[in-house]
Amino acid sequence: MEIRSLVETAELGRGEEAPSLLLAGANKGKIIVQELFKDFDSLRVLDGIHLEVGEGEFLALVGPSGCGKSTLLRMLAGLMKPSGGRVLIDGEEVRGPSPSRNLVFQEHALYPWRTVSQNVALGLEIFRFPPAEIRRRVKELLALVGLEGFDDYYPHQISGGMRQRAALARVLAVDPDVLFLDEPFGALDAMTRLTLQKELLRLWDHSGKTVVLVTHDVEEALYLADRVAIMSAVPGRIREIIRVKDPRPRDRGSASLVSLKRTVLDLLGLEPKFSQTIPAI
Amino acid sequence: MAERTRAERALEPVGERGEDLGGGASPTSPTGKPPSAPGLRRLTAYGLAFLSILLGWQLASLFFPAYLIPTPTQVFLRLTRELGTRKFLFTIARSFVRLGIGFGIASLLGVVVGLASGVWGPFRRYSRALVSILQSIPPIAWVPLFIILLGFGDRPIILVIIISAFFPMAVSVMNAVEHVEPVHVDVARLMGASRLQLISKVYAPEVLPAIVTGGQVGFGNAWRSLIAAEMVGGVNIGLGWFITIAGEVADMAAVLAGIVVIGLFSAALDSWVLEHLKRRLLKWKYAV
Repeated sequence: MEIRSLVETAELGRGEEAPSLLLAGANKGKIIVQELFKDFDSLRVLDGIHLEVGEGEFLALVGPSGCGKSTLLRMLAGLMKPSGGRVLIDGEEVRGPSPSRNLVFQEHALYPWRTVSQNVALGLEIFRFPPAEIRRRVKELLALVGLEGFDDYYPHQISGGMRQRAALARVLAVDPDVLFLDEPFGALDAMTRLTLQKELLRLWDHSGKTVVLVTHDVEEALYLADRVAIMSAVPGRIREIIRVKDPRPRDRGSASLVSLKRTVLDLLGLEPKFSQTIPAI
Repeated sequence: MAERTRAERALEPVGERGEDLGGGASPTSPTGKPPSAPGLRRLTAYGLAFLSILLGWQLASLFFPAYLIPTPTQVFLRLTRELGTRKFLFTIARSFVRLGIGFGIASLLGVVVGLASGVWGPFRRYSRALVSILQSIPPIAWVPLFIILLGFGDRPIILVIIISAFFPMAVSVMNAVEHVEPVHVDVARLMGASRLQLISKVYAPEVLPAIVTGGQVGFGNAWRSLIAAEMVGGVNIGLGWFITIAGEVADMAAVLAGIVVIGLFSAALDSWVLEHLKRRLLKWKYAV
């Protein structure tokens, strides 16, 4: 019963979404996802995903764990082939990874055998930049993410927050125009997470980069993104896309963000109905 | 973090090596610099082991006549005399040349096969099957065949060494490649790394600890096979040959002198040279 009603809402949501998407496409669609689905054996993890991300837009994908949001991100990045449908970036179908779009992972993504500066240099080495140029750019990048002086530390010698800064620097080194973030701050403590969210906004601002962030943190999504896509699980679908109109930097406690948060949690089925709880008091 | 795989652990002989790859500072040495303390403890342990062997030997020599078990002093005197002769030095040198060539080729082949089978699935299944069949044959059993095929001399011995050192290396690298963090590969792929760059920038450095362990195990195998093959391989130079010849004329002092050389060299190579090499190659693991 419940499941069916959920599916109906999802389809309803998608139907309504289509025209508004076209309206939102004032700036040309950088990423266009059409009819995308993904099966793992007989299990459908993603079903009929339609999505359009504008150039320079910051989009967040939120959803319960297992809704396939990371899978979706991997397909956008070209790390995984869809079972059907397609992903277009700059009008071209994504068939594999490309340096013009890059992904920041949750953790364990730094190479433990490389120092911080060697990690940041990875992409530049792969691009075969001359060593002097690499040294110069790595220095700039470490300064940019606030890691000056940590050049020669190994990842296990620095904190989780610093590791994610380094991971971000490593990706920014190759200057991708599309940035995918797969729960980049998920493993960090609450305070570090807030700091890094701010840092991320600072780095993204005026960069013109298109960002797709996967997170399970609704507040993070509302604080950072232009639009928040809410997903449902098994099979993963996009239920609703919400636009966050507040200008940045946003106040996490502002009335509009709080009410948006309630809406999102409600869509995720996580917010208790007030009409039911209030009489009980 | 960089933990060793179970397979790597299984490959390692029990003892000294096990304790140090993961942890840096030793909990039992509250004073002194952490890096030097384990080294000192290792040295003490080696000293004690050495002394107890000497003591046992000395005791045994009390109960047997000197022509059966000569005393340590007699043997060391004999050894110093032998070390003064060109012939003995050449014999040691020849053994090391065989060992070096055989171990070098085996390690290189092992790393290549291990990496290749890790990166390419069908080849992995094939080489696993092949290894499990061939690994069960003691390398020394090949000697008669190799002598007929290659004639007496260095070549059959080197081939036996290659066989004995290849498998530990190949298996160790193969297992390690399977445990390479997929995210590490994805990161490089996203940067546009070619297949060759994936191997040089991700797989090779990530399996380096396994290469070192495989090398250590392989070296032990190679050393044993070298001596055994020299003893039965019909050569007329080499440490194994030296012991066999001495045994045939019941020259026990020479037999024991040969054994002492073998023991001292392999202990020194294994615990000192390879250990230093390991610390150098795996610098990042030891950074505190």
